[in-house]
Amino acid sequence: MSLGPEASIKDDTTTPTADAADDRTGDKAITGRSLKQIAWRRLKKDKVAIAGGIVVIFLIVVAILAPVLSKWFGHPIDEYHIDQIDPTFSTPIGKLGGISREFLFGVEPTSGRDVFSRILYGAQTSLSVAFLSAFVSTLIGTVFGLAAGFLGGWVDTVISRIMDFLLAFPQLLFAIALVSVLPDSFLGLGDRWSRVGVLVGVIGFFGWPYIGRIVRGQTLSLREREFVEASRSMGARSGRILFKELLPNLAAPILVYATLIIPTNILTEAALSFLGVGIPPPNPSWGGMLSDAVTFYSIDPMYMIIPGGMIFITVLAFNLFGDGLRDALDPKAR
Amino acid sequence: MLAYLIRRLINAVITLLVVTAVTFGIFFLVPKATGSDPALLYIGKTSDAASVEGIRVKMGLDDPIVVQYGKFLKGLVAGRDYANGPDVQHCPAPCLGYSFKTDQEVTPLLLGDLPVTLSLALGAAVLWLIMGISTGVISALRRGSIIDRTVMTGALAGVSLPIYFTGLLSSAIFVYWLGWLPQGNYVPFTESPGDWFIQLLLPWITLAFLFAATYARLTRANMLETLGEDYVRTARAKGLRERTVIGKHALRSGLTPIVTVFGLDLGALLGGAVLTETVFNLRGLGYQALTAIRGNDLPIILGVTLIAAAFIVFANLIVDLVYGIIDPRVRLA
Amino acid sequence: MASKKRVMAAAGIAVTLGLTTAACGGSSDSDDNKGSSGSEAGYNAAITNVVNPSTTKGGTLNLWSSQDADSWDPVRGYYAFVWNLNRLYTRKLVDYTATPGKEGLKLTPDLAAAEPEVSADKLTYTFKLRDGIKFDDGSAITSKDIKYGIERVWASDVLSGGPVYLPGVLDQGQNYKGPYKDTDPNKLGLKSVTTPDDKTITFKLAKPSGDFLYLLAMPGSGPVPQKRDTGAQYGKKPAASGPYMFKDIQPGKSASWVRNPNWDQATDPIRKALPDAINLTITTNPDDLDSRLLAGTADLDVGQVGVQAAARTKLLSDPNLKKNADNPVSGFLRYAGITSVAPLNNVECRKAVIYAADPTALQAAFGGPLAAGDIGTSMLPENIAGSDANYDPFNRKQGKPQVDKAKEALTKCGQPNGFNLTITARNNRAAEVKAAEALQASLKAVGITAKIDQYDGAQQASITGSPDNVKKKGYGIIMAAWAADYPTGSGYMQPLADSRFIPANGNYNLPEIKDKAIDDLFDKANLEADPTKAAEYYKQINTKIMEGAYYLPVVSAKALNYRNPRLTNVYIHDTFGQVDFQALGVSDGK
Repeated sequence: MSLGPEASIKDDTTTPTADAADDRTGDKAITGRSLKQIAWRRLKKDKVAIAGGIVVIFLIVVAILAPVLSKWFGHPIDEYHIDQIDPTFSTPIGKLGGISREFLFGVEPTSGRDVFSRILYGAQTSLSVAFLSAFVSTLIGTVFGLAAGFLGGWVDTVISRIMDFLLAFPQLLFAIALVSVLPDSFLGLGDRWSRVGVLVGVIGFFGWPYIGRIVRGQTLSLREREFVEASRSMGARSGRILFKELLPNLAAPILVYATLIIPTNILTEAALSFLGVGIPPPNPSWGGMLSDAVTFYSIDPMYMIIPGGMIFITVLAFNLFGDGLRDALDPKAR
Repeated sequence: MLAYLIRRLINAVITLLVVTAVTFGIFFLVPKATGSDPALLYIGKTSDAASVEGIRVKMGLDDPIVVQYGKFLKGLVAGRDYANGPDVQHCPAPCLGYSFKTDQEVTPLLLGDLPVTLSLALGAAVLWLIMGISTGVISALRRGSIIDRTVMTGALAGVSLPIYFTGLLSSAIFVYWLGWLPQGNYVPFTESPGDWFIQLLLPWITLAFLFAATYARLTRANMLETLGEDYVRTARAKGLRERTVIGKHALRSGLTPIVTVFGLDLGALLGGAVLTETVFNLRGLGYQALTAIRGNDLPIILGVTLIAAAFIVFANLIVDLVYGIIDPRVRLA
Repeated sequence: MASKKRVMAAAGIAVTLGLTTAACGGSSDSDDNKGSSGSEAGYNAAITNVVNPSTTKGGTLNLWSSQDADSWDPVRGYYAFVWNLNRLYTRKLVDYTATPGKEGLKLTPDLAAAEPEVSADKLTYTFKLRDGIKFDDGSAITSKDIKYGIERVWASDVLSGGPVYLPGVLDQGQNYKGPYKDTDPNKLGLKSVTTPDDKTITFKLAKPSGDFLYLLAMPGSGPVPQKRDTGAQYGKKPAASGPYMFKDIQPGKSASWVRNPNWDQATDPIRKALPDAINLTITTNPDDLDSRLLAGTADLDVGQVGVQAAARTKLLSDPNLKKNADNPVSGFLRYAGITSVAPLNNVECRKAVIYAADPTALQAAFGGPLAAGDIGTSMLPENIAGSDANYDPFNRKQGKPQVDKAKEALTKCGQPNGFNLTITARNNRAAEVKAAEALQASLKAVGITAKIDQYDGAQQASITGSPDNVKKKGYGIIMAAWAADYPTGSGYMQPLADSRFIPANGNYNLPEIKDKAIDDLFDKANLEADPTKAAEYYKQINTKIMEGAYYLPVVSAKALNYRNPRLTNVYIHDTFGQVDFQALGVSDGK
């Protein structure tokens, strides 16, 4: 892999986190290594980012193993435990939202369903929506950003206009409107995964201009670089320049912004669920649980703290990791 | 300069036209695509044929969509007349029509909600600018110190907290457990400035915390970048006092990118802070829009979308103009 | 009332007033207590008795609501609390008696001087109006104003939202288009209603109707002066015939009333008109409303749908607060309609659903016994004659799902391994969605796999209210709720069970019950002048509905409401299942 221009890690003064800045001298000594190797070395030194990464991996594993874990340590997500609920107040009988050995995270008010299992399945929803919509945004954003930056002219004008227009849109409102009118089930998927598909589509769609703008900007600057000029003067076709010269050099910023868009997507998914247009019941989602908690948060705060805390931890972990990755790959990008 | 301004204004108007056209299309075509009769959306418990027909006529639902959109635009510019039983109701420009649900005129309705959103957004903006920029500058100047690390960790936590969680958490603590603040219920400034302030305190702080985190990170990064620039080194080398170097040179250009972000954030917020308004029961534009979307009240949806998009578009314009003033390198053309 | 109760009442009030009026110098306590001669301020006291009876006038009544009125136009409002508030400013020919208990379900002449003269064939009703009745602008209320008001019911193209019962009885094929399209110069072209003079109004029916007078008691049958009618905008400033007139209406924010100077107490046998002014504040935060109620800065929640979970906890754990609370039956029944989508067209499959449903889990989803109400057992709510609280054909009161019986029914239905169905719930009703989830979970236990379809509640009429759409979408179970528009068996059940009440849109006969026997029973009850005999028919209809397993009764709704201790004349009016707002006064004159 060629050492792209954006990877010229020479001046490190702008490195945002102190940890990364510490090993500056070390890097200067290293020459001739690939970007990948340099980035990995830098990332490894960034303990906070590594911690974030570990949490992310842990959450992914938990989400994948949700059915097994809830079988071992919990109860099915739609199993009612009315005996755990005080009939008059609709809140859990036990202290701290009914947390016990039987119900690790307590029980849901009014129904007595197991919060632990619902959190696990909520992680499935949150993470799959976040990852897939980040993928959608990245794909569309890269294609259009590249097209705009590389082709220029009227193509650039049209795409840039569309991106401006989308960014000027009251997005959350439109996401709500779109999600609530799109079909409940399609392609033979169950209603849960159909809705995940809808959320991925809507969140991914509104997210692409962010990636698109960055890719366009990077492409514009790369296009004028010597190595592209050289390639062009040697008679390389557009396709070759695009895929052999530009795309590899765009990989780093694309990866960084794709990582950083994931926590935003988690927040958006949770916000949509909070506003009542998320995953259909009885499938749980963290935002939906928070929305249910609105009625009870003053008398059963635990039911608010657990899903809220999960959103916070997950988003924080992704942000830490994403920040570290950016510092490692692309310290100047801001 | 003037030509630039005119071109930008025309562009802004075109964007707004597209936004309304798309909104119009989505909310009128989707019921058709899903096979539900829009006239039936606006009927309550009863739905006899006469009511449905009446609403259809009143809303002009029998007209082709282009005609309906044309009428909407005409109302916006010149006002329009509605047949309402014995009287013909005149809706003066800028007419956004009548709510399908409550028969209220949309323009005054939204103007009535605007102060709530304005109070929320402007108050929070002042707070987050102070909090965000000051902590960001301090962090940048004391790079690597304990303060820097604490601020940056706090900022990262801040951007990771959803407002619908911090909002609930803070009201659980300050309203229910400590009892320091009353239950949320907006009081207009004109009615009682004191109550207005107390009522908005929690929403301001919660919202500002979220934004301050982003601004602290941005400010720090920009400051670090400018502090490394040649002209700052030159200024230092000239023997200028540190305060002058930072205040006059570094801060000025370090904050230029913040202006862009601030303009866009504020513009977006003024169009309605849906989540904050929902969590704190503030009846502003965002709350109104959410209710309208849930109830399919198209005139209100259109109205809020138009206002929200207008704020964003004009915030963009103002940002670019301001940019030209504070950053001499940018020339408007 | 027993004297013992009175003493206890005095003690109770002294305690609470001692807290609230301490700053004004404690001597006022004893003065107030002299007024209270009716009943104690205890938990549920207002359900059967008048709490703090008083004739003291003056003060301002501070009403609050977390929901705005659907419309202040009498013909367009449909919320129960709006009908109740209409009693402040809209009089009708007849209106509900102002007393607690079953007596409140009876009608009493209001604008009419006496009961109507009914012809021997029960087809002609003639009312004579009282003398001295006036609108708020001082003009006399004539029979023409009443006829004009009634004609407005026909103009549902302009005045949508309210109930449209009267055309069904009085149109009689003349195809009247309402006053706005009336060619009659006086806009009084409805032929079945005549006004021989300003004091007389005559209604001619095509066939006898036992419920006709109840239709005249709806706010939409009140008088409207034609010269002040502004069509769809009338709700912004409705004329007043009652003791209060609107001072100001701020949609979504507030409404306020002041005394109508042209109303004469002598002409009104129903209304007390104690406070000098009435303010209604609409808040967006129900928790704020609750804390104001408990703090005594708000007098009453006019929505009367009960306090929120947080306030419920506070209220029930403090005896001093609890004694100012009532938990009345609201007259609302929450139920699930079981449609005829296969295999639910088989009665055994429907029975399986009812047996499988967990009564307690469903009750808990709506908030438990206090906030939601008692477990529903049949389809006739308690406040309606003919209902029998002990009639529990599916043995639901014991609170557990009956899996064995459900499986047995499934086998009989030919679906021993269960089947798939869709449950609908309105997405703007969080509790309804929760209930659908509870039902889904309990159906799973007997092998019935349910999918929940949430829809926009505002579109109810065209989604679950459209039999075609229900078939197209294959909805099997429809979560719904219903309260009577007037307190008789046909007022409650006819839209739910009569085969002749299945419109293409806005249908409430969700199972599409087409049973000639039920239709005939409705007809018989309608012709029956004696309410006790009619009640017997309604009882039979209820039994037939339950035997057909057409509906799963979920809860008979109750609400836990708080009343400010300073309120006088508080009692629950059985017609509305709410405090009778017009009777209220305030004891401290503020």
